Amino acid sequence: MALPAHISSGVSAAPSRTPVYALVGNPNCGKSTLFNALTGLKQKVGNYPGVTVEKKIGTAYSQHGQPITVIDLPGAYSLAARSPDEAVTRDVLLGRRADTPQPDRILCIVDATNLERNLYLVHQILDLGRPVILVLNMMDVAAAAGLDVRAGRLERELGIPVIPCEAVNGKGLIELKLAMSRADLPLSRHAWDIPAPIAPAVAELQASLTANDRKPPLIARAEALLLLTDQDSVRVAGSTPLSARTTEILQGWQKRWEGEGTDWAGTLVNSRYDVIGRIAAEAVTRAGHTGPTASDKIDAVATHPIWGWMILGAVMTLLFLSIFTLAEYPMGFIEDGIASLSDWVKKDSGLPDGDLRDLITDGAIAGVGGVIVFLPQILILFFFIGLLESTGYMARAAFIMDRLMSRVGLNGKSFIPLLSSYACAIPGIMATRTIEDQKDRLVTILVAPLMSCSARLPVYLLMIAALVPGDRVPVATKVGVMILMYALGTFGAFGFAWLFKRTLLKGAPPVMIMELPPYRLPGLKDVALHMLERAWIFLRRAGTVILGISIVLWFLAAYPKAPEGATPQQQLAQSFAGRAGHALEPAIAPLGFDWQIGIGLISSFAAREVFVSTMGVVFNAESKDDDTTPLRQALLATKWPDGRPLFTPLVCFTLMIFYVFAMQCVSTVAIVRRETNSWRWPLFQIAYQTGTAWILSFIVYQAGRALGF
Amino acid sequence: MGRVRELSGDASFCQRVREMGFGESAFVTKVGGSGPFICQVNGTRIALSHAAAMGILVEQLGRR
Repeated sequence: MALPAHISSGVSAAPSRTPVYALVGNPNCGKSTLFNALTGLKQKVGNYPGVTVEKKIGTAYSQHGQPITVIDLPGAYSLAARSPDEAVTRDVLLGRRADTPQPDRILCIVDATNLERNLYLVHQILDLGRPVILVLNMMDVAAAAGLDVRAGRLERELGIPVIPCEAVNGKGLIELKLAMSRADLPLSRHAWDIPAPIAPAVAELQASLTANDRKPPLIARAEALLLLTDQDSVRVAGSTPLSARTTEILQGWQKRWEGEGTDWAGTLVNSRYDVIGRIAAEAVTRAGHTGPTASDKIDAVATHPIWGWMILGAVMTLLFLSIFTLAEYPMGFIEDGIASLSDWVKKDSGLPDGDLRDLITDGAIAGVGGVIVFLPQILILFFFIGLLESTGYMARAAFIMDRLMSRVGLNGKSFIPLLSSYACAIPGIMATRTIEDQKDRLVTILVAPLMSCSARLPVYLLMIAALVPGDRVPVATKVGVMILMYALGTFGAFGFAWLFKRTLLKGAPPVMIMELPPYRLPGLKDVALHMLERAWIFLRRAGTVILGISIVLWFLAAYPKAPEGATPQQQLAQSFAGRAGHALEPAIAPLGFDWQIGIGLISSFAAREVFVSTMGVVFNAESKDDDTTPLRQALLATKWPDGRPLFTPLVCFTLMIFYVFAMQCVSTVAIVRRETNSWRWPLFQIAYQTGTAWILSFIVYQAGRALGF
Repeated sequence: MGRVRELSGDASFCQRVREMGFGESAFVTKVGGSGPFICQVNGTRIALSHAAAMGILVEQLGRR
């Protein structure tokens, strides 16, 4: 059937402008794989300003070598957004975000094995009045499940190009690129009848949105429908509040419907599903009943009440073993590299002896180096998380953990952020974006830093070395103390989550609705890309925030200058940092800490592991690599002015407990500030964590003293 | 095997459930679990926490 001229639309701008495609789809439909396949390594990963949602833009090339911009939008089930991620998808598509070009065309990717559910989002997107290309992904999986999905039929029903595809194997990409390079793409001919009780409201809202909110007519219609798909119109409006007139009309209709007992939102969704159900029935035929799929069989074990826990336990053990053992060698290389770089600057760079050289070696290189050392662990963590996500197991892990999490008022989706936080709270807090409920998300953010991150590890190791002297004590004791610290943090996190859900952030019991995608072989290329992206974000932070903090700390420790000939210890004692340590002593003396430990506490607010290097400076003992023996001996030799030893086993133990709970990480504070968009929560977090740390340390130290330790 | 009869609970929960294809008259098969449940709806596996499952009233259509 020939299309009337007026419903054909090309990329209207000047031909020199690169066309912009938005890539949208449900979670787990293979969107990232398609994005990687289309753009390869030509991707830019950033952030949408104001929210910490990742912004991914890439460049694909048409069959004729013309560049095409592709924006990868976060996965969403509906334009009626529930989470910050989904809100970004909605806002970009509606052209609400000033920082992102409004897409000229939309690539909708759907999972062919689950057409009906996936078409719901497509149906909403067709309302936007932009040319849409539908990508039918996972055709191979659908065929294996006995489904015959006819693209031609779907194309006729919807009136838009439909491209069957297997993004994992690169099948269908050429056809897709050909479609994307078409100068003209038809607009959907598909129309649906808005249910009769609601149609007049849509028309009235559309008119008002066009007149009073200056929306283009088609967008106005889509906005009107969205306003009616959600009870909460403030949430739908997002950052652009509605005009008074539109709000008035909306509230007028809502009142009327409430009076009549019409569930307008439900009616809209159901009527969309009616239409979709008919389309799906036309396009898909099921070739008889197939037996349980491979996924079914795996799930019977993986989500089993007993086997499920054992498998999860095994996976977690493997993960931690890899993080702490495999990472050892590359961490050694990095440490050596940093040390030799520092030596080179000291000896061979030709820089004169003085403050500039010290700033570079003791400030910049030592500070940034101390953080970059953790890169291998972070890479391994993200490799595993990527692998677990790519195979589909991660959703099962969240499912199994839900039973435990719901006890403390969290849902299974909090599991991934908390797991990541064992490596580092920053990726953990960033991973909370997928939690739909704002309160659940906030609670997860608040407790995530209690999980013992890898930056605490050096502190634990040093204190255990000082605590259990020599090789007389079996390794088991050391490991036992270590496990105790990890357990303390974990139970602390659960305890506080329970407390917050009952007091500060009271909410309904968590409702988790989560899709369990079919198991797949992992896409190693996607996992690798994901891992490299994370590494890059981490390195960029080390190069900016942490570099800045390191320089400031160096300054605080190096000035004001001690008289000529003073030892480094004397210099530190009378520096700004030393004075702060002295000022802090009255507050920490009840915990058994003196001003020298105080300096360590202050400097390690930058990052916990800085404590170890600060102790090295304070007690003038160089510790090389993992061998903390000289430092340990220096610690054990340190005495209070009255001759009592400073680092008694009890003090070491107390110090570890302090580090389990205290919010000693400026980077975490910064990320929480950005995630919650206010200073309130990060400040609260510092107060409650450090307060708990102080109280517990006080109890342990004083009780220990009373018991004669 | 059953069919969704009624959704209860807060409006935004109902809406999300409907949008995920779990709306009234959808066919549901319980696959496993007892605390959190796993259901099969339209070829998708969906995990529901206990609280979520309590909001979905299903009419039983016969055992498999």
